[in-house]
Amino acid sequence: MTWLALVLWGTLVGLDLVSGPQIMIARPLVAATVAGAIVGDAAAGVTVGIVLELFALEVLPIGAARYPDYGPAAVSAAAAAAHAPMILALGAGVTLGLIVAGIGGVAMHRLREWNARRIHRHAAALDAGDGRQLARLHFTCLAADAARSAAVTTLGLAGAAVLRQVGVLSVRGAVVAGTVVVALALATAATGVLRLGGSRAARRWLALGAALGVLVGVVAR
Amino acid sequence: MIGPLTRSWLRLFGSQASWNYERMVGLGVGVAMQPLLERLGAERGEDARRSALARAARYFNAHPYLTAFAVGAQARAELDGVPGVHVERLRQALVAPLGSMGDRLVWAGWLPATVGLALIAVTLGAGWIAIVLFLVAYNVVHLWLRTWGLRAGWRLGLRVSEALGHPALHRALAVMPAAAGLLLGAALPLSAMWAASLFAPESRWAMATLAAAGFVVLRWLAPAIGGLRLALLTVVVALAVGGVWR
Repeated sequence: MTWLALVLWGTLVGLDLVSGPQIMIARPLVAATVAGAIVGDAAAGVTVGIVLELFALEVLPIGAARYPDYGPAAVSAAAAAAHAPMILALGAGVTLGLIVAGIGGVAMHRLREWNARRIHRHAAALDAGDGRQLARLHFTCLAADAARSAAVTTLGLAGAAVLRQVGVLSVRGAVVAGTVVVALALATAATGVLRLGGSRAARRWLALGAALGVLVGVVAR
Repeated sequence: MIGPLTRSWLRLFGSQASWNYERMVGLGVGVAMQPLLERLGAERGEDARRSALARAARYFNAHPYLTAFAVGAQARAELDGVPGVHVERLRQALVAPLGSMGDRLVWAGWLPATVGLALIAVTLGAGWIAIVLFLVAYNVVHLWLRTWGLRAGWRLGLRVSEALGHPALHRALAVMPAAAGLLLGAALPLSAMWAASLFAPESRWAMATLAAAGFVVLRWLAPAIGGLRLALLTVVVALAVGGVWR
């Protein structure tokens, strides 16, 4: 039942990325936290969600850009990392999440090509203003994206089950993987944020924010 | 029974479902416009409705939230009996401003600002409450944009640019980069401190060094290699070199 709920949640967040409703449940922070809560460990979900969110900060989903699908990835990562010591589970969970995100992105690109071929085949009906064909094509594409999201989530959850049952890393390996993914998440976020704040004025606000962040961090410790 | 404007508004939430490299969001725009064009068949005949629908489903690309302006405006123009060639011109004229404004206002403004705020709150220990607040705050603006866009387009038709020139919209465009920069800027060091707290002191130095090296590599190689690829490559290399597979 839990796995079914995770597949359903992964499908919804996979749809949310592009197809709709784009209410940002596809953000890794949201997707992973809810997935963690579904498996009974929301704290693990929040932790992998933060790391994957840092990776996602480099993505600007503009126009025809190709980007990873972090929603189903975050669901898989949270399922892999739940109920385990975080220092051991974080690296493997997030690495699995990154692989699933990459697969999801490729699958979305293939789906868009498939959409274009189907729509091209029915161009005559569309150009004649056939409303029934228009709606049928559109909602078939929506169903196809739901199937894509469900398949990517299922694949990710299968990976999570393998990680949990078999384990593929030694303790030292798990710590190394965790250190690497967190370090590169921070590097990716910094790169993405700098790219976002392209103008000189925006970079001044960025620098001010960073100074405030350090101050708040030191005070809060 | 819900009215055509509400049905159109609901359909706008899925306008990108048939996104493709040929017509982009064109089909989604057509599907969202369908309820608004129903009246056209009764008023001016089936041929007029079919012609309008064919125009609605052609190539279109814009920010998904601001597509609402185009749907409302084009449907109003069709119902007002504006010649097809002028409707086409309106549609083409809306692509660039709706894309550019939406990208700057939402993708490069409101979204990173609210994500930054959520990261700040979560790394300071706010937990799931911060995530709920993120969803609420983000979607207040999201829903307002879709609703206002559709209503303004539907009301103004060919004069939809009046709504796009609204001072509030331009103030928001001016403020958003600063807000996003400030909040993401604050989120970065807080996320780094939070991440460091997960590891033992000796791992923290390794993490800081690797993060700095990763930043330099990504600045140098982006966009050819993104963070995802670099992370996967580095994990594999680190594990292979360390011989730490089980």
